[in-house]
Amino acid sequence: MIPASPFLCVITDEALCPVTLAQEALKGGAAMIQLRHKSASGSQLFSWAVAIGKYCRQSEAIFIVNDRLDIAMASGADGVHLGQEDMPAKTARKIVGKKYLIGVSAASIHEALEAEKDGADYVGFGHIYPTSSKEKRNSPVGIDTLQQVFAMLTIPILAIGGINSQNAGFIISSGASGVAVISAVSRTDDPLYATRKLVDAITTYT
Amino acid sequence: MERNKELKSEMPRICLVSSGDEAGEQSGRLETQLTLLPHHLPCIVQIREKRLSTHELLRLAHRMKLLTLSKKVLLVINERADIALAAALDGIHLPENGCSPMVLRPLAPTMLFGCSVHSFEASQVAEESGADYLIFGPIFDTPSKRPYGPPQGLEKLRRLCQSTTLPVFALGGVRPENAESCMAEGAYGVAALALFMDTTRFIDTIEELYHTVTP
Repeated sequence: MIPASPFLCVITDEALCPVTLAQEALKGGAAMIQLRHKSASGSQLFSWAVAIGKYCRQSEAIFIVNDRLDIAMASGADGVHLGQEDMPAKTARKIVGKKYLIGVSAASIHEALEAEKDGADYVGFGHIYPTSSKEKRNSPVGIDTLQQVFAMLTIPILAIGGINSQNAGFIISSGASGVAVISAVSRTDDPLYATRKLVDAITTYT
Repeated sequence: MERNKELKSEMPRICLVSSGDEAGEQSGRLETQLTLLPHHLPCIVQIREKRLSTHELLRLAHRMKLLTLSKKVLLVINERADIALAAALDGIHLPENGCSPMVLRPLAPTMLFGCSVHSFEASQVAEESGADYLIFGPIFDTPSKRPYGPPQGLEKLRRLCQSTTLPVFALGGVRPENAESCMAEGAYGVAALALFMDTTRFIDTIEELYHTVTP
Protein backbone atom coordinates (compact mmCIF):
# COMPACT_ATOMS: atom_id res chain seq x y z
CA MET A 1 0.00 0.00 0.00
CA ILE A 2 1.15 3.48 -0.86
CA PRO A 3 1.67 5.61 2.30
CA ALA A 4 -1.07 7.95 3.52
CA SER A 5 -1.01 11.37 1.88
CA PRO A 6 0.91 13.61 2.16
CA PHE A 7 4.14 11.64 2.28
CA LEU A 8 7.79 11.98 1.41
CA CYS A 9 9.71 9.51 -0.75
CA VAL A 10 13.49 9.66 -0.60
CA ILE A 11 15.35 8.18 -3.55
CA THR A 12 18.92 7.01 -3.03
CA ASP A 13 21.77 8.79 -4.73
CA GLU A 14 24.74 7.05 -6.33
CA ALA A 15 27.07 9.48 -4.56
CA LEU A 16 26.25 8.07 -1.12
CA CYS A 17 25.85 4.68 0.52
CA PRO A 18 22.16 3.94 -0.08
CA VAL A 19 21.75 2.17 3.26
CA THR A 20 23.14 5.08 5.29
CA LEU A 21 21.02 7.57 3.35
CA ALA A 22 17.89 5.45 3.84
CA GLN A 23 18.51 5.20 7.58
CA GLU A 24 18.85 8.98 7.90
CA ALA A 25 15.78 9.60 5.74
CA LEU A 26 13.71 7.17 7.79
CA LYS A 27 14.80 8.86 11.03
CA GLY A 28 13.74 12.16 9.46
CA GLY A 29 10.26 10.85 8.71
CA ALA A 30 10.35 9.64 5.09
CA ALA A 31 7.45 7.22 4.50
CA MET A 32 8.88 5.70 1.35
CA ILE A 33 12.39 4.81 0.22
CA GLN A 34 13.30 4.01 -3.36
CA LEU A 35 16.58 2.23 -4.03
CA ARG A 36 17.90 3.53 -7.32
CA HIS A 37 21.40 2.64 -8.50
CA LYS A 38 22.15 2.11 -12.17
CA SER A 39 25.73 0.88 -11.94
CA ALA A 40 25.86 -1.44 -8.92
CA SER A 41 26.29 -5.19 -9.38
CA GLY A 42 23.36 -7.51 -8.76
CA SER A 43 24.76 -8.89 -5.52
CA GLN A 44 25.52 -5.40 -4.21
CA LEU A 45 22.04 -4.17 -5.11
CA PHE A 46 20.47 -7.19 -3.46
CA SER A 47 22.35 -6.76 -0.20
CA TRP A 48 21.46 -3.05 -0.08
CA ALA A 49 17.82 -3.94 -0.79
CA VAL A 50 17.72 -6.47 2.06
CA ALA A 51 19.23 -3.95 4.50
CA ILE A 52 17.02 -1.01 3.46
CA GLY A 53 13.94 -3.24 3.45
CA LYS A 54 14.66 -4.21 7.05
CA TYR A 55 14.99 -0.58 8.19
CA CYS A 56 11.83 0.37 6.30
CA ARG A 57 9.82 -2.35 8.02
CA GLN A 58 11.12 -1.18 11.40
CA SER A 59 9.91 2.35 10.56
CA GLU A 60 6.69 1.12 8.92
CA ALA A 61 7.80 2.77 5.70
CA ILE A 62 7.34 1.49 2.16
CA PHE A 63 10.37 0.19 0.28
CA ILE A 64 10.58 0.05 -3.49
CA VAL A 65 13.35 -0.77 -5.93
CA ASN A 66 13.92 1.15 -9.15
CA ASP A 67 13.80 -0.85 -12.41
CA ARG A 68 14.99 -4.23 -11.05
CA LEU A 69 11.80 -6.15 -10.39
CA ASP A 70 13.85 -9.31 -9.78
CA ILE A 71 15.85 -7.64 -6.99
CA ALA A 72 12.65 -6.12 -5.59
CA MET A 73 10.93 -9.51 -5.43
CA ALA A 74 13.94 -11.46 -4.19
CA SER A 75 14.64 -8.96 -1.40
CA GLY A 76 11.02 -8.81 -0.24
CA ALA A 77 10.52 -5.14 -1.17
CA ASP A 78 6.99 -3.73 -1.23
CA GLY A 79 7.18 -2.68 -4.83
CA VAL A 80 9.03 -1.61 -7.92
CA HIS A 81 9.36 1.74 -9.65
CA LEU A 82 9.50 1.59 -13.42
CA GLY A 83 10.80 4.29 -15.77
CA GLN A 84 9.68 4.67 -19.36
CA GLU A 85 12.76 2.69 -20.49
CA ASP A 86 12.09 -0.11 -18.03
CA MET A 87 9.72 -3.03 -18.15
CA PRO A 88 6.15 -1.95 -19.06
CA ALA A 89 3.87 -1.89 -16.01
CA LYS A 90 1.46 -4.26 -17.75
CA THR A 91 4.21 -6.88 -18.09
CA ALA A 92 5.38 -6.39 -14.52
CA ARG A 93 1.82 -6.71 -13.24
CA LYS A 94 1.49 -10.14 -14.88
CA ILE A 95 4.55 -11.32 -12.98
CA VAL A 96 3.76 -9.92 -9.54
CA GLY A 97 -0.02 -10.02 -9.33
CA LYS A 98 -2.46 -7.44 -8.03
CA LYS A 99 -1.13 -6.70 -4.58
CA TYR A 100 2.41 -5.65 -5.44
CA LEU A 101 3.09 -1.93 -5.58
CA ILE A 102 4.03 -0.68 -9.04
CA GLY A 103 4.99 2.93 -9.67
CA VAL A 104 5.63 4.38 -13.10
CA SER A 105 7.54 7.52 -14.08
CA ALA A 106 5.64 9.86 -16.35
CA ALA A 107 6.79 13.12 -17.90
CA SER A 108 3.58 14.03 -19.72
CA ILE A 109 -0.18 13.76 -19.34
CA HIS A 110 -0.16 11.04 -21.99
CA GLU A 111 2.42 8.93 -20.14
CA ALA A 112 0.54 9.40 -16.86
CA LEU A 113 -2.73 8.21 -18.39
CA GLU A 114 -0.97 5.25 -20.00
CA ALA A 115 0.57 4.30 -16.66
CA GLU A 116 -2.81 4.31 -14.99
CA LYS A 117 -4.30 2.24 -17.80
CA ASP A 118 -1.39 -0.25 -17.55
CA GLY A 119 -2.16 -0.91 -13.91
CA ALA A 120 0.27 1.36 -12.08
CA ASP A 121 -0.57 2.04 -8.41
CA TYR A 122 0.91 5.52 -8.55
CA VAL A 123 2.57 7.82 -11.04
CA GLY A 124 5.90 9.47 -10.39
CA PHE A 125 5.24 12.71 -12.21
CA GLY A 126 7.86 15.23 -13.21
CA HIS A 127 10.16 16.76 -13.24
CA ILE A 128 8.05 19.60 -11.92
CA TYR A 129 10.89 22.14 -11.65
CA PRO A 130 14.37 22.20 -13.21
CA THR A 131 16.73 19.76 -11.49
CA SER A 132 20.21 18.37 -11.92
CA SER A 133 19.67 15.02 -10.22
CA LYS A 134 18.78 12.88 -13.20
CA GLU A 135 19.38 12.94 -16.91
CA LYS A 136 16.25 14.46 -18.38
CA ARG A 137 14.28 13.69 -21.51
CA ASN A 138 12.02 16.74 -21.34
CA SER A 139 11.81 20.28 -20.03
CA PRO A 140 10.09 20.75 -16.65
CA VAL A 141 6.37 19.96 -16.74
CA GLY A 142 5.44 22.77 -14.35
CA ILE A 143 2.71 23.14 -11.78
CA ASP A 144 -0.13 23.66 -14.30
CA THR A 145 0.44 20.27 -15.86
CA LEU A 146 0.62 18.69 -12.41
CA GLN A 147 -2.81 20.15 -11.65
CA GLN A 148 -4.19 18.85 -14.96
CA VAL A 149 -2.83 15.36 -14.34
CA PHE A 150 -4.32 15.45 -10.86
CA ALA A 151 -7.72 16.26 -12.36
CA MET A 152 -7.48 13.40 -14.88
CA LEU A 153 -6.00 10.53 -12.82
CA THR A 154 -7.60 8.42 -10.17
CA ILE A 155 -4.32 6.94 -8.86
CA PRO A 156 -2.03 8.95 -6.54
CA ILE A 157 0.63 11.23 -7.93
CA LEU A 158 4.13 11.36 -6.53
CA ALA A 159 5.64 14.64 -7.73
CA ILE A 160 9.36 14.74 -8.43
CA GLY A 161 11.96 17.16 -9.70
CA GLY A 162 13.39 20.28 -8.14
CA ILE A 163 11.26 19.99 -5.02
CA ASN A 164 12.58 21.51 -1.79
CA SER A 165 11.17 22.56 1.57
CA GLN A 166 10.13 25.96 0.11
CA ASN A 167 7.92 24.62 -2.67
CA ALA A 168 6.92 21.18 -1.32
CA GLY A 169 3.77 22.44 0.40
CA PHE A 170 2.60 24.12 -2.79
CA ILE A 171 3.11 20.84 -4.69
CA ILE A 172 0.88 18.99 -2.23
CA SER A 173 -1.77 21.71 -2.38
CA SER A 174 -1.68 21.30 -6.19
CA GLY A 175 -2.87 17.72 -5.91
CA ALA A 176 0.17 15.50 -5.42
CA SER A 177 -0.20 12.77 -2.80
CA GLY A 178 3.47 12.91 -2.07
CA VAL A 179 6.79 14.30 -3.17
CA ALA A 180 9.93 12.44 -4.12
CA VAL A 181 13.41 13.90 -3.77
CA ILE A 182 16.97 12.87 -4.45
CA SER A 183 19.44 15.73 -4.10
CA ALA A 184 17.30 17.80 -1.69
CA VAL A 185 18.17 15.14 0.88
CA SER A 186 21.31 13.40 -0.38
CA ARG A 187 23.31 16.48 -1.35
CA THR A 188 23.05 18.17 2.00
CA ASP A 189 25.33 18.15 5.02
CA ASP A 190 22.57 16.66 7.15
CA PRO A 191 20.19 14.33 5.29
CA LEU A 192 18.16 13.66 8.45
CA TYR A 193 17.53 17.37 9.04
CA ALA A 194 16.78 17.93 5.32
CA THR A 195 14.24 15.11 5.41
CA ARG A 196 12.59 16.48 8.53
CA LYS A 197 12.26 19.94 6.98
CA LEU A 198 10.62 18.46 3.87
CA VAL A 199 8.23 16.35 5.93
CA ASP A 200 7.29 19.45 7.95
CA ALA A 201 6.76 21.39 4.73
CA ILE A 202 4.31 18.86 3.24
CA THR A 203 2.40 18.19 6.45
CA THR A 204 1.92 21.84 7.45
CA TYR A 205 1.04 23.46 4.11
CA THR A 206 -2.03 25.69 4.10
CA MET B 1 4.01 -25.78 -18.82
CA GLU B 2 7.71 -26.13 -18.50
CA ARG B 3 9.54 -25.20 -21.62
CA ASN B 4 12.27 -27.38 -23.01
CA LYS B 5 12.25 -29.96 -20.25
CA GLU B 6 14.22 -32.50 -22.27
CA LEU B 7 16.92 -30.04 -23.19
CA LYS B 8 17.28 -29.10 -19.54
CA SER B 9 17.73 -32.69 -18.45
CA GLU B 10 20.31 -33.27 -21.14
CA MET B 11 21.93 -29.91 -21.50
CA PRO B 12 23.47 -28.77 -24.79
CA ARG B 13 27.28 -28.76 -24.86
CA ILE B 14 27.64 -25.46 -26.67
CA CYS B 15 26.84 -22.09 -25.17
CA LEU B 16 26.65 -19.13 -27.54
CA VAL B 17 27.09 -15.82 -25.75
CA SER B 18 25.72 -12.75 -27.49
CA SER B 19 28.31 -10.21 -28.59
CA GLY B 20 27.15 -7.24 -26.53
CA ASP B 21 26.71 -5.25 -29.72
CA GLU B 22 22.92 -5.20 -29.87
CA ALA B 23 22.88 -1.58 -28.70
CA GLY B 24 25.24 -0.36 -31.44
CA GLU B 25 25.76 -0.42 -35.18
CA GLN B 26 26.23 -4.20 -35.17
CA SER B 27 22.76 -4.78 -33.74
CA GLY B 28 20.98 -7.70 -35.33
CA ARG B 29 23.90 -10.13 -35.11
CA LEU B 30 22.18 -12.34 -32.57
CA GLU B 31 19.11 -12.52 -34.77
CA THR B 32 21.30 -13.58 -37.72
CA GLN B 33 23.08 -16.20 -35.59
CA LEU B 34 19.82 -17.67 -34.33
CA THR B 35 18.30 -17.71 -37.81
CA LEU B 36 21.35 -19.55 -39.12
CA LEU B 37 21.58 -21.99 -36.20
CA PRO B 38 20.86 -25.49 -37.56
CA HIS B 39 17.66 -27.06 -36.26
CA HIS B 40 19.35 -30.27 -35.10
CA LEU B 41 22.04 -28.52 -33.08
CA PRO B 42 21.41 -28.18 -29.31
CA CYS B 43 22.66 -24.89 -27.94
CA ILE B 44 22.40 -22.66 -24.90
CA VAL B 45 22.02 -19.08 -26.10
CA GLN B 46 22.97 -16.47 -23.55
CA ILE B 47 21.69 -12.93 -24.07
CA ARG B 48 24.35 -10.69 -22.58
CA GLU B 49 23.70 -7.11 -23.62
CA LYS B 50 24.75 -4.76 -20.88
CA ARG B 51 24.15 -1.56 -22.81
CA LEU B 52 20.45 -2.09 -23.50
CA SER B 53 17.71 -0.61 -21.33
CA THR B 54 15.36 -3.01 -19.59
CA HIS B 55 12.64 -2.35 -22.15
CA GLU B 56 15.01 -2.95 -25.08
CA LEU B 57 16.30 -6.14 -23.44
CA LEU B 58 12.78 -7.38 -22.99
CA ARG B 59 11.95 -6.73 -26.64
CA LEU B 60 15.13 -8.49 -27.73
CA ALA B 61 14.33 -11.46 -25.49
CA HIS B 62 10.82 -11.73 -26.94
CA ARG B 63 12.10 -11.62 -30.53
CA MET B 64 14.85 -14.17 -29.87
CA LYS B 65 12.43 -16.50 -28.17
CA LEU B 66 10.20 -16.52 -31.24
CA LEU B 67 13.22 -17.31 -33.42
CA THR B 68 14.21 -20.27 -31.28
CA LEU B 69 10.82 -21.89 -30.68
CA SER B 70 11.40 -24.51 -33.35
CA LYS B 71 15.06 -25.06 -32.44
CA LYS B 72 16.94 -26.98 -29.78
CA VAL B 73 17.78 -23.85 -27.90
CA LEU B 74 17.76 -23.03 -24.22
CA LEU B 75 17.49 -19.27 -24.14
CA VAL B 76 19.00 -17.67 -21.05
CA ILE B 77 19.61 -14.06 -20.11
CA ASN B 78 22.35 -12.46 -18.08
CA GLU B 79 21.34 -11.36 -14.58
CA ARG B 80 17.74 -10.36 -15.21
CA ALA B 81 15.41 -12.90 -13.66
CA ASP B 82 12.56 -10.42 -14.17
CA ILE B 83 13.09 -10.36 -17.93
CA ALA B 84 13.48 -14.13 -18.01
CA LEU B 85 10.07 -14.39 -16.34
CA ALA B 86 8.45 -11.73 -18.53
CA ALA B 87 9.64 -13.37 -21.76
CA ALA B 88 9.27 -16.96 -20.47
CA LEU B 89 12.91 -17.76 -21.16
CA ASP B 90 14.64 -20.98 -20.09
CA GLY B 91 17.12 -19.58 -17.66
CA ILE B 92 19.26 -16.94 -16.05
CA HIS B 93 23.00 -16.60 -16.22
CA LEU B 94 24.66 -14.91 -13.29
CA PRO B 95 28.03 -13.16 -13.38
CA GLU B 96 30.29 -13.68 -10.38
CA ASN B 97 29.11 -10.37 -8.87
CA GLY B 98 25.46 -11.10 -9.64
CA CYS B 99 22.71 -12.15 -7.28
CA SER B 100 23.03 -15.63 -5.85
CA PRO B 101 20.95 -18.34 -7.59
CA MET B 102 19.69 -19.18 -4.10
CA VAL B 103 17.82 -15.89 -3.76
CA LEU B 104 16.48 -15.91 -7.33
CA ARG B 105 15.44 -19.58 -7.50
CA PRO B 106 12.15 -19.01 -5.62
CA LEU B 107 11.11 -16.49 -8.32
CA ALA B 108 11.79 -18.91 -11.13
CA PRO B 109 11.78 -22.48 -9.78
CA THR B 110 11.86 -24.28 -13.14
CA MET B 111 14.52 -22.11 -14.74
CA LEU B 112 18.09 -23.05 -15.40
CA PHE B 113 20.67 -21.09 -13.39
CA GLY B 114 24.17 -20.73 -14.77
CA CYS B 115 27.03 -19.04 -12.98
CA SER B 116 30.23 -17.53 -14.34
CA VAL B 117 33.14 -18.41 -12.10
CA HIS B 118 36.80 -17.46 -12.18
CA SER B 119 38.12 -19.36 -9.16
CA PHE B 120 37.69 -22.59 -7.18
CA GLU B 121 36.17 -20.61 -4.35
CA ALA B 122 33.55 -19.01 -6.60
CA SER B 123 32.76 -22.39 -8.11
CA GLN B 124 32.14 -23.88 -4.68
CA VAL B 125 29.91 -20.96 -3.68
CA ALA B 126 27.92 -21.31 -6.92
CA GLU B 127 27.45 -25.03 -6.39
CA GLU B 128 26.33 -24.56 -2.79
CA SER B 129 23.90 -21.86 -3.95
CA GLY B 130 22.20 -24.27 -6.29
CA ALA B 131 23.65 -23.40 -9.70
CA ASP B 132 22.82 -25.80 -12.54
CA TYR B 133 25.98 -25.22 -14.56
CA LEU B 134 29.18 -23.21 -14.49
CA ILE B 135 31.09 -21.23 -17.07
CA PHE B 136 34.79 -21.10 -16.27
CA GLY B 137 37.45 -19.07 -18.01
CA PRO B 138 39.28 -17.63 -19.70
CA ILE B 139 40.94 -20.91 -20.64
CA PHE B 140 43.01 -19.64 -23.57
CA ASP B 141 44.35 -16.24 -24.54
CA THR B 142 41.59 -13.98 -25.83
CA PRO B 143 41.92 -10.25 -26.61
CA SER B 144 38.88 -9.14 -24.58
CA LYS B 145 40.20 -10.75 -21.38
CA ARG B 146 43.86 -9.66 -21.60
CA PRO B 147 43.36 -6.69 -19.27
CA TYR B 148 42.43 -9.15 -16.49
CA GLY B 149 45.72 -11.02 -16.62
CA PRO B 150 46.89 -14.34 -18.07
CA PRO B 151 44.39 -17.08 -19.00
CA GLN B 152 43.52 -19.79 -16.46
CA GLY B 153 44.77 -22.59 -18.69
CA LEU B 154 43.84 -26.24 -19.16
CA GLU B 155 45.44 -27.48 -15.94
CA LYS B 156 43.20 -25.22 -13.85
CA LEU B 157 40.20 -26.25 -15.92
CA ARG B 158 40.93 -29.90 -15.11
CA ARG B 159 41.21 -29.21 -11.38
CA LEU B 160 38.05 -27.13 -11.39
CA CYS B 161 36.09 -29.84 -13.21
CA GLN B 162 37.32 -32.39 -10.68
CA SER B 163 36.30 -30.17 -7.77
CA THR B 164 32.65 -29.80 -8.76
CA THR B 165 29.76 -32.08 -9.61
CA LEU B 166 28.27 -29.45 -11.93
CA PRO B 167 28.70 -29.37 -15.69
CA VAL B 168 31.45 -26.89 -16.58
CA PHE B 169 31.58 -24.94 -19.83
CA ALA B 170 35.05 -23.77 -20.85
CA LEU B 171 35.13 -20.17 -22.07
CA GLY B 172 37.75 -17.88 -23.50
CA GLY B 173 39.58 -18.39 -26.77
CA VAL B 174 37.86 -21.73 -27.36
CA ARG B 175 37.81 -22.82 -31.01
CA PRO B 176 36.98 -26.03 -32.88
CA GLU B 177 40.74 -26.79 -32.92
CA ASN B 178 41.22 -26.62 -29.15
CA ALA B 179 37.76 -27.56 -27.86
CA GLU B 180 38.73 -31.22 -27.64
CA SER B 181 41.50 -30.41 -25.19
CA CYS B 182 38.92 -28.76 -22.90
CA MET B 183 36.67 -31.81 -23.13
CA ALA B 184 39.66 -34.03 -22.33
CA GLU B 185 40.19 -32.09 -19.09
CA GLY B 186 36.63 -32.81 -17.99
CA ALA B 187 34.64 -29.87 -19.37
CA TYR B 188 31.02 -30.68 -20.10
CA GLY B 189 30.97 -28.23 -22.98
CA VAL B 190 32.29 -24.99 -24.36
CA ALA B 191 31.07 -21.40 -24.41
CA ALA B 192 32.10 -18.73 -26.88
CA LEU B 193 31.33 -15.24 -28.00
CA ALA B 194 33.97 -13.93 -30.45
CA LEU B 195 34.17 -17.30 -32.23
CA PHE B 196 30.64 -16.88 -33.52
CA MET B 197 30.87 -13.23 -34.48
CA ASP B 198 31.75 -13.82 -38.11
CA THR B 199 28.27 -14.74 -39.30
CA THR B 200 29.48 -15.63 -42.81
CA ARG B 201 31.26 -18.65 -41.29
CA PHE B 202 28.77 -19.22 -38.47
CA ILE B 203 27.17 -22.46 -39.64
CA ASP B 204 30.52 -24.13 -40.45
CA THR B 205 32.05 -22.98 -37.18
CA ILE B 206 29.26 -24.15 -34.93
CA GLU B 207 28.84 -27.47 -36.79
CA GLU B 208 32.55 -28.15 -36.47
CA LEU B 209 32.47 -27.26 -32.80
CA TYR B 210 29.42 -29.45 -32.29
CA HIS B 211 31.19 -32.48 -33.72
CA THR B 212 34.19 -31.83 -31.52
CA VAL B 213 32.28 -31.59 -28.25
CA THR B 214 29.68 -34.30 -28.83
CA PRO B 215 30.79 -37.50 -27.13
